Amino acid sequence: MLSRTADNLYWLARYVERAEYLARILDATLRLTALPLAYVGAGNEWQSAVATAGCADAFAAAYPEANEDTVTHFLAFSPANPSSIRCCLESARVNARAVRTALTVEMWDTINGAWLELKKWSDGPSSRQDFSSFLRWVIESSLRFDGSAYRTMLRNDAYWFSRLGLYIERADNTARILDVKYHLLLPAIEPVGGPLDYFQWASILRSVSALTAYHWVYRENVKPWLVAELLILRDEMPRSLASCYENLVQNADRIARAYGRQGLAQRQARTIRARLENSRIEQIFQEGLHEFLNDFIKDNNQFGAAVTQQYLV
Amino acid sequence: MRISIAHSTVYRYEPPANGAVQVLRLTPRNHDSQYVARWRIDVSPDAQLAMREDAFGNITHVFSAARPLPEIRVDVDGEVETQDGNGVVRGTAERFPQSLFLRDTDLTRADAAIRALAEEIGTANGCIPLDSLHALMRRLHDEIAYDTALTNTPMSAAEAFALKRGVCRDLTHAFIAVARCLGIPARYVAGYLQLADGITEQEAGHAWAEAFVPDLGWVGFDPANAICQTDAYVRVAVGLDSLGAAPVRGARYGISAESLEVAIKVGQ
Repeated sequence: MLSRTADNLYWLARYVERAEYLARILDATLRLTALPLAYVGAGNEWQSAVATAGCADAFAAAYPEANEDTVTHFLAFSPANPSSIRCCLESARVNARAVRTALTVEMWDTINGAWLELKKWSDGPSSRQDFSSFLRWVIESSLRFDGSAYRTMLRNDAYWFSRLGLYIERADNTARILDVKYHLLLPAIEPVGGPLDYFQWASILRSVSALTAYHWVYRENVKPWLVAELLILRDEMPRSLASCYENLVQNADRIARAYGRQGLAQRQARTIRARLENSRIEQIFQEGLHEFLNDFIKDNNQFGAAVTQQYLV
Repeated sequence: MRISIAHSTVYRYEPPANGAVQVLRLTPRNHDSQYVARWRIDVSPDAQLAMREDAFGNITHVFSAARPLPEIRVDVDGEVETQDGNGVVRGTAERFPQSLFLRDTDLTRADAAIRALAEEIGTANGCIPLDSLHALMRRLHDEIAYDTALTNTPMSAAEAFALKRGVCRDLTHAFIAVARCLGIPARYVAGYLQLADGITEQEAGHAWAEAFVPDLGWVGFDPANAICQTDAYVRVAVGLDSLGAAPVRGARYGISAESLEVAIKVGQ
């Protein structure tokens, strides 16, 4: 397979995953801001949404203030923000078109259909309700795309490269949301277990669609350290860092076997996977969650760079 | 390096045992230079097989059956991808501070001869841990003759050192005993070694030691071969001595004679 093709497949999956993640953050923020102030505290949720999306600097340069209008526009519709939902879907479609023959009809239809449908919203949403249905539509498009890839794609290097993109992006997103939210929340004067805690943590879990999973795994109140454990170390949680890396190791391994040669990317993935597997949440807290997540994001980027170096350029 | 491993253990009881409980430490964990690509444990009788973690972070399977058993067969097979870490073992599951591995056990207790060796090596190497450990590894390799006839003779470090003969287990015990005398935390590692001469069939698993060197971390030393751990080594379990890291430990009910057969295949 040409490096260029692999590159397109990789980025196609990354952009679709990122669009879904942004939609989930916006959805969780909308829910939080709809609650009475007494429940959620006076913190600026919209500011934190921008920080979780990882584009706080670009936002600050473009807008004077973070509120519902500016943030929804910036994260969802802005053509100037390269990682807005709109730009993600457009880039995904550009990448998909370049490798049209490597995709199945279902995948192409989903991504092309999403791109056509996007035009309906080019002037922004007409109301809050309209915006909600937009977010739902983005999430559904991503699910449909992922599902068609899973059900219709031949299991060869094309599929494996697209999975690499998907899981790298997902691991990055999970680490980021946990990092930002933990820092906004931990210094709270509010006693642990108060309503502030409950709604904030529930919203984090909801933004990675893990609220129900949490209750299945732990069967108790939402507690910060358990949320962190679920999203970092639990293999059975499909968005956790551990699970993302299990998948990355497997897919990188399959590529290595198919090509009969392995390198830095495989070694790095295995190393990160082993670390996650051998860590325990008490240890992570002792050494500092922020440091752990920062290191992880750095390692994850390095792994992404290694994949690019080895296969995509 | 991709190493494939097949390890089968058969216990035969005559007359059949009334039941058995066994702890299997036969599942390797991932660490920085080791990734378990595929691993499977099969136990012949229908029985409970529960996976958990022991105090050292080793993965164990507890196997129990309470009915007449003429034989128990434990088959393990899998593939492990390894890299050469220059002897240093990073990213392992650590459940205790290193100082725990200074603790003596019956099998690794030092006697006068071992203490004398420790002192001699310590002074010769100016108490630099890494140099002392390398010198110790070569010394034991030269001094203790490898003798597979002693596989089934349990010996302590002091006995093996006095006898000047032993298998990898005894050399490792001696290594650990001396290292601990030098104030260096050391532990026993059970695992598999892919032999350089291409022979795949082996009679027993391999054993070596890990010692904690400041600034480096845990470093694997194999006194039986006088080299540090390479990518030919698959690390399965650690413990304070060979009993703590034993692949299979257990008990059977009923008075019966037991015979044991082990076949190990380690290849690429």
